Amino acid sequence: MKIAMINGSPKGGATNSGFLLDKLRPLLPREAEISTYRVGPKALKEEDYDELYRTDILVLSFPLYFDAVPSHLLRMMTEMEQRRPVDESQRTIRVYAMVNNGFFEGDQCKLAVNIVENWCERCGFHFGTAFGHGAGEMFSSLGNVPVGSGPLKNLGFALEHLVHSIRSGEHAEPFFTQPKFPRFLWQLSSTRLFWHGAAKKNGLKPKDLRRRPGIPPIRLSPPENDVKR
Amino acid sequence: MKMIVHDLEEAGEISWLREFGAGQDVIGSEDAVIRHCTGCFGCWTRTPGTCVLKDEYRHLGARLAVCDEMILISRCTYGGYSPFVCNVMNRTLSYVLPYFRTLEGQTHHQPRYEQAIRLTACFYGENMTEKECGTARSLVRANALNLGAERFEVSFYDNVRQLKEALA
Ligand SMILES: Cc1cc2nc3c(=O)[nH]c(=O)nc-3n(C[C@H](O)[C@H](O)[C@H](O)COP(=O)(O)O)c2cc1C
Repeated sequence: MKIAMINGSPKGGATNSGFLLDKLRPLLPREAEISTYRVGPKALKEEDYDELYRTDILVLSFPLYFDAVPSHLLRMMTEMEQRRPVDESQRTIRVYAMVNNGFFEGDQCKLAVNIVENWCERCGFHFGTAFGHGAGEMFSSLGNVPVGSGPLKNLGFALEHLVHSIRSGEHAEPFFTQPKFPRFLWQLSSTRLFWHGAAKKNGLKPKDLRRRPGIPPIRLSPPENDVKR
Repeated sequence: MKMIVHDLEEAGEISWLREFGAGQDVIGSEDAVIRHCTGCFGCWTRTPGTCVLKDEYRHLGARLAVCDEMILISRCTYGGYSPFVCNVMNRTLSYVLPYFRTLEGQTHHQPRYEQAIRLTACFYGENMTEKECGTARSLVRANALNLGAERFEVSFYDNVRQLKEALA
């Protein structure tokens, strides 16, 4: 069984999408041949697409952007659709998705999962299942917490859900969850530690984050008369 | 003023668009090469309100803030926007604040600016499925909520000709 894992986070360094892939890997069938890809602002190479079409299982792990798939990953998905091999005897690829988002509620990932499902339909792939997990930016502070306990209890269920479908080959409805952690504490720590902490590192005060930069010189479309001239 | 984000270059409809978008802030893929968002949150925590990527699209938040309407004209792509229109959306993150508020029981962003936009999305494409249209409708609704839009509208067209007739 060939499994291709795609990290669709465009960030440099550690990513929450990568965190999820790291937690998934040890749970996959031992005999699986696993390859990993990074899809960020830099496009995949031609041979990467050929390889992806030779895989049995594709796992997409990506952050939610504007309630949907981020543009660089969407670009890769459209490229993949265009490169569909004409040979209909090609093996059927099963697709799985792990979406993580910044807001607390994991079910805000629902539309991104729908987009992946619609993509599968267009490409002739089988959609296996997916999960969406909220408060993704918490992962980096939970590196030492075992999956399935404490705030990562629900992540344990989510991974189990995905792995069961990968192993059995059965389709399952997507699953949405968030850390087992009080929402108000998440909100407080995101604001105080995460945003204000980042501002401080950049020499800014919390109130600076509310700045309203003025209108820069922009190129407006010329008035209609100019066009006709 | 309206901000009109479109992918009509591919459909060869630039001359129509020039007329339709006269005097508005029109954003298309032929204007300049657009970079993808790198997820660094610099537009919130380094240069608040402005993207740190140095290209023509770094001021999208401030540009949107002087508009009363954002019109998205996009090929319907798996029930979402096409890669270019999606890219522009992703680069407007600075329009909102990193801070949270609760709307309809869920977390969303606080607005950075006092003004609110109307969000209008016009999707075109041959044989869009029911499911894709459903996803697209929900997506525009969700985007409107997050951007603090006061209203939103979604419409679908089988081809660009129909779309042009409807917008004329
Ligand atoms: C341009 C942009 C748009 C985003 N839009 C959303 C959104 O609509 N909803 C949400 O919950 N989080 C949103 N986020 C937050 C990311 O999904 C979140 O930070 C995620 O944990 C990043 O994961 P990564 O480390 O794998 O890139 C957005 C982030 C960026 C940079």
